[in-house]
Amino acid sequence: MIKRPPRALNWERLLGRAALYFVLTILLILFMVPVYGAIVTAFKSQAEVAAGGYWTPPASLAAENFERVMDPEDGNLGLYLQNSLLLTIPASILSIALGTLAGYALGKYRFKGDGLLFIFIVAGMFLPPQIALIPVFRLMNDIGLYDTLYAVIIIHTAFGIPICTLVMRNFFQVVPNALREAALIDGANEYGIFFRIMLPLTLPALAVLATLQFTWIWNDFLWPFILTQRADSRTIMVGILNLTGQYTVDWGGQAAASLIGSLPTLFIFIFFQRYFITGLTLGAVKG
Amino acid sequence: MLRRHPWIIPASFLILPLLVYFTFVIVPTLNSLYYSFTDWVGYGADFDFVGTANFEKIFTDRLFSNAIKNTAIWLALAMTAPTLLGLALALALQGKRAINTIYKSLFYLPICLSPIIIGIIWVWLYSPKLGIVNIFLRGIGLDQLATAWLANPNTALFAVFVAWAWQQTGLNMVIFLAGLTSVPTPLVEAAKVDGANYWQTLFKVIIPMLRPATVVVLALTAISALKSFEIIWVMTMGGPFNKSDTLAVFMYSESFRKFKMGYGSSAAVVLFVLTLVIIVLYFRFAAAAEELYD
Repeated sequence: MIKRPPRALNWERLLGRAALYFVLTILLILFMVPVYGAIVTAFKSQAEVAAGGYWTPPASLAAENFERVMDPEDGNLGLYLQNSLLLTIPASILSIALGTLAGYALGKYRFKGDGLLFIFIVAGMFLPPQIALIPVFRLMNDIGLYDTLYAVIIIHTAFGIPICTLVMRNFFQVVPNALREAALIDGANEYGIFFRIMLPLTLPALAVLATLQFTWIWNDFLWPFILTQRADSRTIMVGILNLTGQYTVDWGGQAAASLIGSLPTLFIFIFFQRYFITGLTLGAVKG
Repeated sequence: MLRRHPWIIPASFLILPLLVYFTFVIVPTLNSLYYSFTDWVGYGADFDFVGTANFEKIFTDRLFSNAIKNTAIWLALAMTAPTLLGLALALALQGKRAINTIYKSLFYLPICLSPIIIGIIWVWLYSPKLGIVNIFLRGIGLDQLATAWLANPNTALFAVFVAWAWQQTGLNMVIFLAGLTSVPTPLVEAAKVDGANYWQTLFKVIIPMLRPATVVVLALTAISALKSFEIIWVMTMGGPFNKSDTLAVFMYSESFRKFKMGYGSSAAVVLFVLTLVIIVLYFRFAAAAEELYD
């Protein structure tokens, strides 16, 4: 590298920046090709797709692919969307609730073995699901929950506890102790403090976890794939993969299904991005 | 009363989460170890304890050594390409300039998509006749490079990897960006005042300061690379000729397609041990990184 003077001439810096953004823009265009492909294909009529132009913009916006995949007699995505919501919302709420309880105990109380217990819980974040796949499959069969959404709700609740505990414990650690002591002096009991003083403070942390858990559970495929079978308990990702078997050459239908299945997490990505990104880095950097 | 039993209150908060965590995470994990010593077929309660037979068999199974080889390639690719690209993007896009914010958002958009959907979309991209990859190659006159990317035994694993990396790069960028905010500005300024150019500042100051973030990125990438199943399953199901059959796919096929649950459990145990090795390495490097800056 040629050694430059500490303060480069203005035009030189400008040129460097222009080159950087040129490269970045090329890279970004390449990066967006899959997204672009999915969008244009979803809005094309079957006739237009059959004519061969997959990667050109649609001649006119057609809704037929969306109608086909949502039709109960055809793609039946409406049912799978409903199932995914019935799974994702309770599992997110339950995992966050349990993580909040554990995180509060580990963040605000000192007791023997607390550090070890914390590591023991957080280690669960790194477990590959494969290690529990077969025993959970058997357990759910034994307790009669196999092929129900309850099985998937339970398992996502349990596997969500580590990340939720981690985030909530880190959050509670920085809540000033004076708050708790003042309430104790005022005669509040420990549970009153938790519910009336601490919980309202946790809203930002809850928002972070809600975006994270919703996205992760919504997008998951492996657990519902293992634990459910009938269409009545099929989640959206399993449903979409089944459709690709049914619509082998129907890219329009596959694209429309993919867009529909991504809408809830794209919504979170667009409107709650700040919380989502905070969650990703919290879980990563402090874990 | 409360003073004498200070553990009662935290225990009352912990009992429910611990109960669920134990029953549905820890017990199944330990049960997997148990099943790996049996010949269970996936239904009924009828199975025998076969000792270490599954492990003796697995280490002579040609399909297993093939899966280990593919997993090693997958892991080596995963630790390098998305890490370097994520770091480069983070360095190029750090700061609050409006255009950077938009670019960053678009680069990490794939994080919010399901691997299933990513797999479906990339299957079209790789389609032999109509996929954009081959259309592009033919367009620039490189017809001889155009191939059936996912059906060609020489390219399948790499083609699936590119789709996986498309998502992982954005995640790595986010972690590196968080790491960059903890690089003290005075240090960078001081290097500039001392006459260091951008590249010298980058390699002598910024990258060494990013060591903790790098350790996190490498550990998380390795762990998620080991367990990644969905995207491979959607795109190739481990084929052609098991050329993209990684350990996670092998474990699934043996257990849930061939119904050799005992045997599949032993594959899961191998996967688990590999993950443990990474976690131990991670904690050692993370501790070393912390000592460096304390």
